[in-house]
Amino acid sequence: MTKTYRAPTLWDRIRADYFSSRLNTALTLTFGAFVIWVLWNLANWGLIHAVWSAENRDLCGHGGEGACWAVIDARWRLIMFGLYPFEEQWRSAIACCALVLVGILSCVPWFWNARRISILWVAGFATFYVLMRGGVFGLTPVFEQNWGGLSLTLFIFAAVSLLGMPLAIVFALLRRSELPWIARTMGVIIDTIRSLPLLSIMFTFAIVLPFVLPGWMIGDKLYRVIVGYALFFACYQAEIIRGGMQALPAGQEEAAKALGMSYVHRIAYIVLPQAFRNALPPTINQFVITFKETSLVVIIGFFEILASGHAAFGTSEWNFAHVEVYAFVALIYFVFVFALSRYGAYLERRTAIAAR
Amino acid sequence: MTQDFAVRIQNMDKYYGTFHALKGINLDVAAGEKVVICGPSGSGKSTLIRCMNKLEDYQAGSINVLGTELDDNLDNIDEIRRETGMVFQHFNLFPHMTILENCTLAPMLVRKQSLAEAEAVAMEYLTKVRIPEQADKYPGQLSGGQQQRVAIARALCMKPKIMLFDEPTSALDPEMISEVLDVMVSLADEGMTMICVTHEMGFARQVADRVIFMADGEVVEEAAPEAFFNAPQADRTKTFLSQILGH
Repeated sequence: MTKTYRAPTLWDRIRADYFSSRLNTALTLTFGAFVIWVLWNLANWGLIHAVWSAENRDLCGHGGEGACWAVIDARWRLIMFGLYPFEEQWRSAIACCALVLVGILSCVPWFWNARRISILWVAGFATFYVLMRGGVFGLTPVFEQNWGGLSLTLFIFAAVSLLGMPLAIVFALLRRSELPWIARTMGVIIDTIRSLPLLSIMFTFAIVLPFVLPGWMIGDKLYRVIVGYALFFACYQAEIIRGGMQALPAGQEEAAKALGMSYVHRIAYIVLPQAFRNALPPTINQFVITFKETSLVVIIGFFEILASGHAAFGTSEWNFAHVEVYAFVALIYFVFVFALSRYGAYLERRTAIAAR
Repeated sequence: MTQDFAVRIQNMDKYYGTFHALKGINLDVAAGEKVVICGPSGSGKSTLIRCMNKLEDYQAGSINVLGTELDDNLDNIDEIRRETGMVFQHFNLFPHMTILENCTLAPMLVRKQSLAEAEAVAMEYLTKVRIPEQADKYPGQLSGGQQQRVAIARALCMKPKIMLFDEPTSALDPEMISEVLDVMVSLADEGMTMICVTHEMGFARQVADRVIFMADGEVVEEAAPEAFFNAPQADRTKTFLSQILGH
């Protein structure tokens, strides 16, 4: 039988993709049924039989029939703001928005030069700190120990990324130094820190460091943990950047040298832009991991969003509703992580045109 | 600074570990002279030309470029690299920048030119290599011959006094070789000092003042093109020429 060309319809394409043989038809029907079954049960539990309002609390908790979103209605302020004083939580909310805004703005190409991006982030962190810490402009002081919830999670993530990224670049450059002693020493430092669990690094910086540092260097526990985490981040990210650099043909640096460009110019204009381009997927990956692992600060007593969620169902009144609280916190994580990965995909498309 | 040579290499030795890659090289290139270096692969011709702007280090002897000693002093190396342009076998354009940005980057950073000035110079040279309409494209969107012409323009934007060509046509499809050679010929006609590692013997005949034949890290023979092609002296030169011109 000869084929004659006609434009494929939607049905043609579905048949070709999903029903092209008896085995494929069977697989499609089986997995299709499974997916529908899962979605149906989820919708039944989460939407149709769910209890939405805290006033109807008495309707939940008898097991089986539906989700008890009433817990979110009743406890959302604890989840979002942790131990932050109740009357001052508007400050935490605005501080949170300020960080998100700065984060979004720094994704806009217009801000991509050293001066604009640093002004933006200094302003962002200053706003955040003044609002959260208070003690000026008539704001009641709130100590770092009482910060919590989403704003603490975002603050740790942003501070670790912004401290860690320049550090990672320096580490990666030292790691590939032509002077063998510098390269090897940096290699040993990176390997050592990478071989330690993040938990133990946080613990060391929070608890052990005050005993060995001079008084003026100690600072609040929160900032020590951030520095330790940034160091950890930098070691991983340095290896990612180094991988991106190794993917560059030697001819790129040779061409820059032959044009008389200095080391700093070669690194800033030729090597790093291309290294980051090559290393974009693992870099986004590293940011995602870093965002989620902020939850580890709970071990030294900080109530970031996951720990706050844990506290929210920690009363006898709500302790049956842990699934609902975790689902809510997971949704918040998802929003940020999904935005990050979509932005990564956008960057990959944007740079595709200039790829070889 | 008075000197009658652009490049003077004396008793230069180069080792890769224990491998003796270049053996006692002596070479003077006069200002405005066009020198073609040829030889079988592995003979050290690319290594020699890469030593002239210190992309490769050398272990003994001396190299002087435009009156500046090419030693371990970084200032001297920078000085020499500013005054010599280099064109590579694989073009080595910067893929993340447009053609125009490729051409303006070094003049702005190294020569401290303004953007407008650098762009005017870049467009002048892109016109000279007959490719001004591609200025806003990226290297990946151009053919090999076009990329190599851009690479020549990029080097010229630094207003070098010497141009080094390291097998500029070896990675090109056959139909693109002539467009690159045409640009090199017109550059030679303008009096540029040129040192070319190439197998294009037609180009050597037409343009070279002197042809240098290398084998096993040594200069085996050097002569004006007429003498080199019509009356080669050394056996290795004769073998090489018969292999390369035989078809």
